[in-house]
Amino acid sequence: MAARKFDSKALAKGVFSILVFLVLWEIGSRSKQWIALDAFSWLRDMLEAFGFRSKYLPWIGAIPAPSAVLVAWKDVLFDAGYWHSWYMSGARVFGGFIAAMLVGIPFGLALAVSRTVHGIGFPVFELLRPIPPLAWVPASIIFWPTQELSIAFVTFLDAFYTVVINVVGGAKSIDVRFFQAAQSMGSSKADIFRRVILPGTLPSIVVGSAVGMGITWEVVVAAEMISGGGSQVGGTSGGGLGFFIWNSYVGGSYEQIVVGMISIGIAGYISSELLRHFGKYLTPWLRLR
Amino acid sequence: MATTETRGAIRIEDVVKIYDPDGAAVMAVDHCSLDIAAGEICMIVGPSGCGKTTLLNAIAGFHEITSGRITLDGEVLCSTDRPKSRPGSDRVVVFQNGALFPWKTNLDNVAFGPIMQGKLSKAEAREKALSMMADAGLNGVEHNYPGEVSSGVRRRIEIVRALMNDPKVLLLDEPYRALDSLTKSVMHEALLEIYYRNKVTIFFITHDLEEAIFLGHKVAIMTSRPCKPKKVLTVDIPHPRDYGVLTSKRFRELIEETNEAVHEEAVKAFQSGEKEG
Amino acid sequence: MPQQDKQPISPDMMIGILKATMPFQVVSEPLLRRIAAIGWKTTFRAGDTLYEAGGPADDLFIVVAGKIDHELQPGVHARRPMKTLVEGDVFGWAALLEKVPNRLAKAVCTEDALVIRINGEELLKVLESDPNAGDVVMSRFATMITRDYTVPDLIAQLRGIHRKLHARDPQGMNVTLYRVSRWLKSPKPYLMLIGLSIFFGGWYLFVEVLRLPRFREMPGITTVVAEWMSPNPTYGLSIYTGEYYQHILVSIWRVTQAFFLATALGVPLGLFLGWSRKFKDLVFPVFETLRPIPILAWVPIAIVMFVATESAVIFLTFLASFFATALNTMLGVESIDESYVRAAYCLGSNERQVFLHVIVPGSLPFIFTGLQISVGVAWFSLVAAEMVSGQYGLGYVINTSYTTVKYPTIIIGMITLGAVGYVTSAMVRVAGDYMMQWRLRELAMGAN
Repeated sequence: MAARKFDSKALAKGVFSILVFLVLWEIGSRSKQWIALDAFSWLRDMLEAFGFRSKYLPWIGAIPAPSAVLVAWKDVLFDAGYWHSWYMSGARVFGGFIAAMLVGIPFGLALAVSRTVHGIGFPVFELLRPIPPLAWVPASIIFWPTQELSIAFVTFLDAFYTVVINVVGGAKSIDVRFFQAAQSMGSSKADIFRRVILPGTLPSIVVGSAVGMGITWEVVVAAEMISGGGSQVGGTSGGGLGFFIWNSYVGGSYEQIVVGMISIGIAGYISSELLRHFGKYLTPWLRLR
Repeated sequence: MATTETRGAIRIEDVVKIYDPDGAAVMAVDHCSLDIAAGEICMIVGPSGCGKTTLLNAIAGFHEITSGRITLDGEVLCSTDRPKSRPGSDRVVVFQNGALFPWKTNLDNVAFGPIMQGKLSKAEAREKALSMMADAGLNGVEHNYPGEVSSGVRRRIEIVRALMNDPKVLLLDEPYRALDSLTKSVMHEALLEIYYRNKVTIFFITHDLEEAIFLGHKVAIMTSRPCKPKKVLTVDIPHPRDYGVLTSKRFRELIEETNEAVHEEAVKAFQSGEKEG
Repeated sequence: MPQQDKQPISPDMMIGILKATMPFQVVSEPLLRRIAAIGWKTTFRAGDTLYEAGGPADDLFIVVAGKIDHELQPGVHARRPMKTLVEGDVFGWAALLEKVPNRLAKAVCTEDALVIRINGEELLKVLESDPNAGDVVMSRFATMITRDYTVPDLIAQLRGIHRKLHARDPQGMNVTLYRVSRWLKSPKPYLMLIGLSIFFGGWYLFVEVLRLPRFREMPGITTVVAEWMSPNPTYGLSIYTGEYYQHILVSIWRVTQAFFLATALGVPLGLFLGWSRKFKDLVFPVFETLRPIPILAWVPIAIVMFVATESAVIFLTFLASFFATALNTMLGVESIDESYVRAAYCLGSNERQVFLHVIVPGSLPFIFTGLQISVGVAWFSLVAAEMVSGQYGLGYVINTSYTTVKYPTIIIGMITLGAVGYVTSAMVRVAGDYMMQWRLRELAMGAN
């Protein structure tokens, strides 16, 4: 599939739709102000008929408006603690992610290459995999000496599963003819591993790591919220973006919660894009066609 | 020969198709004119990617044309003013890679058209489908899914599915491309048999010259992109034909006559680096 | 018909002859040997008639030497009824047809001939015992009859045989038993035992025997199992306590609600996103803006939005599932080959019909992939939500057991979660298989 050309029309539509979304959000969250007007008595009656409170629109009315969020953002923008949260979460994500790659890729390749390793290792792997990674948090805190390590372990775990599954799947899907071709040209086993299996698995490693990256962000945020921020450097919001959100919640600053959510969204997006470009660089042969 | 037939005469007049994907215009079809008589098998031969399929897509109504006119029995399908025709069951396509719905049984695939058009009830359509499949020697696979039968059988089912609609024209887009040559020759005979029973106009795209001369009343050899007829050959081997024709003297002569022209275009296409499809 | 005597033939010679024939060329040595065991040889003199059209079709013949004239009766519609058979030719195949008990041709020996004969019924039995190979032989017979004997009309009846063989494939229980026995014969189960014992043995050894520094804190395997199976659990949770099942049921109920809500909203949204370019241009940017936000980041907002904790937990569980389902459904629609849509239009469908008969079934494989992911992330976010703000459920069990130092219960919670999660995703897979019979059958064909 050819990459879609930069399409200014689609971009305009996208911007438009996000703007509409923001405006609706703004109106919805400001319902506290306008719903009291006489013109909306029918709406109040309707809400009460459905068992909702008539003071504001259900759900959306409880959320801070985008304008308020922007103001809150401006306030934290020059707060070192906010940026330190970015740094902390980012460091955890990349730490866990890189550890998962370092352990997961060799393990996955070993599973793919050797039947014996596969026979011994895979059942245990499959046995542990259905346990959601967050369920490991308490056990991990008990086991690891520092909280930082326990967060890292949980982060590592889920990215590890994803990477291994993708490596094994990728290696299995290599066309048999490539092996035959390599053999017929006199490659040794080591050559086949290096020149066929490794590059053949690379695309699925790239895909797996993109998925793994997304999951890593999920887990880091969750782990930070559950375990209470890890080593708390730089004041109350120094424990990562997940902790930043939790702290804002405890402190009753709802605008800051949304700032935190958006920040994590941006951070996740940036890391996926970085990974995507790196992946493209690693697999130049996929760029053709 | 189908001289008494009056349905399904296609006339392609001066058709031009220019693709303009990213600013650089590419001419796919260049002032192409071709007449296909009702009930005739017309074979379009050309190298892969020469623009034959563009022509078929214009007749079928999948793509628009830039200028020119295509008529079916005198009725305008598409022209400069109305560049895209509506796809319809009077011109059914049999696709290159096959398009039997894998999620429907072979029988339901064949019965699909009349049910969709509301022409027949589900039960009636199934009954008609059963008898048409039996006529084509396809009994035994009705309740299988397409994925369970061989690709040769799939192609035949797809042709029967098309004929269920009593179309004026069958548009075949390299339907046997993926088949091995043994299966192909069986398929050719099966197609001719179906043709002798139904006498429908056939517009058949291929890059295989032997296939073209064996099947067609008329063979149009197309130039490489932009596509237009380079040579139109009338095959004077009488129908009905069977695979004995392949070894006949006249068949060999016709191949010799046209081989040069086809090869020339193939070389041109190769040099310009056209991709498959 | 002169009755010729059947004489035994050496298996090796017979195998050599079979290998030179078109239908048996590709058959494996062991199966050939079994076919050879039911073969005989017979000699005919020039002028002998082997059989007449209409006679009983019992044996299949293979010419070893000599010449035989074979003339198909007019009713068969052969394009070239006459054929002279020589070494390696197979005839008398009417013995293999399902609906034709009688000979379709006349076979006369024109030059002293040695032939092999195999009883048709017996041959079919041998072929049916190995359906995969039998299938190949039968389809090669089909090709031979159409090509060499120029009889296209009989394909139908050969297909009948083809199918009959399929119908007698080992099915259901037999397949399972067969697979189990195959599996037991492979080294896999023993390797698996080694793997599991390393894992559990390691757990036992490190925690309870060696009591290594960090492991000492962890609950040991014997403690966990004893607690889990105890009628009077020290920490209050085991398979004998009602509370245990209450937590399980609460978690399952939450996941179920969230999953079905996500499916009911996500599938239609995905279908429309994939189907309508305009709709996608308008909605997808918002969708993609919200999707990268981790589920847990929604926790405080969910708590603020929903007054009841229960609704907040379900909302969080729903959210991740919804994104996964909608995204995969959209990809499913986009993956549908353009030809199917075109074919449907060609056959006279309108837009609504294309949607119902092509878009929906065509995207089912992706939808079910999405649903599998959806169940997985539902459990993921449920655990997170329950750990942060829940009053029941397995996530809550794990978290409170930590804060109240009931360590073995943490492990019980984890194991239970794994098991319940596995079962639910298996259920989705089974439902998918049930709805996509065509895909199963296709895959089964591919595996053969």
